[in-house]
Amino acid sequence: MMFPMFKQLIVQMFRKPFTNPFPAKYAPKSMKKFMEDVEKGKAKINPPVEIPDEETFRGRILYDRDKCIGCQLCIKVCPSKAIEFKKEEKKIRIYIGRCIFCSQCNDICPTNALSMGNEFLLASDSKVNDELVVE
Amino acid sequence: MIPKAFKRSLWVFHVNSGSCNGCDIEIVAALTPRYDVERFGIKLVGSPRHADVIAFTGPVTKDMEEKVKRVIAQAPEPKVIVVVGACGIGGGVFHESYHLSGPIDKLIPDAKFFYVPGCPPRPEAIIQAFAKAWEYLEEVEKK
Ligand code: SF4
Ligand code: SF4
Ligand code: SF4
Repeated sequence: MMFPMFKQLIVQMFRKPFTNPFPAKYAPKSMKKFMEDVEKGKAKINPPVEIPDEETFRGRILYDRDKCIGCQLCIKVCPSKAIEFKKEEKKIRIYIGRCIFCSQCNDICPTNALSMGNEFLLASDSKVNDELVVE
Repeated sequence: MIPKAFKRSLWVFHVNSGSCNGCDIEIVAALTPRYDVERFGIKLVGSPRHADVIAFTGPVTKDMEEKVKRVIAQAPEPKVIVVVGACGIGGGVFHESYHLSGPIDKLIPDAKFFYVPGCPPRPEAIIQAFAKAWEYLEEVEKK
């Protein structure tokens, strides 16, 4: 009777924990110092949980400026009006802070200028920094 | 003067101001064993008076405006608000609703905001925002 449990105990001792240790396993003494170390390459950020499928994952939008013909279909279809039209250049600007990552603009774009990337770690203290405005 | 206790654990009060509940579930997902933010001492508390950081979701409906202001007034200084989700940041899918007085940063101009884009964002992005809030609090503490 004891043996099945015993076996389980041994297995548990060597199994990796289910918890994904992003960004560090334990809280660092100083978060600021940890971030500086990461920038210098001294410390390493544990990677986040793997995204399920690279092909269909909907992360931050990638915009190919040269392919865009300025037809404004993406602006019409966007449910949260995250896309703005730049009249002079006939190109678009996407505000990722407003975007809901639905990929409807990708589907309707006649020239495939838009595609969904894999980037999703986008937290910041500004709504309109370089990361969050795609143009 | 900010007490030293700040350093080790952030306590979070969660405010929902009319969100669709998607982001609230992701905040809870960050607390599950898979992501486990409690290993950093980050946990949800029941009163804004105990909170170091406020996790904020939703586009602030007219009904919630006064209540949100009251809740945030009760939180201790410095007020740090992590806005989770597109609808908290700029209205998101609710942007053309007749019943909004948000977004939150228009109503509470003197707080420090961190934004997590996504509808809803993945739990890691929320954890990243809390790491940034943590960094900010450490900086304020030094002054
Ligand atoms: S993914 Fe959806 S919300 Fe984002 S820009 Fe495209 S259509 Fe708009
Ligand atoms: S739908 Fe495509 S081609 Fe048309 S404006 Fe949008 S990105 Fe440009
Ligand atoms: S951002 Fe999207 S998922 Fe999050 S609360 Fe708003 S509508 Fe719901």
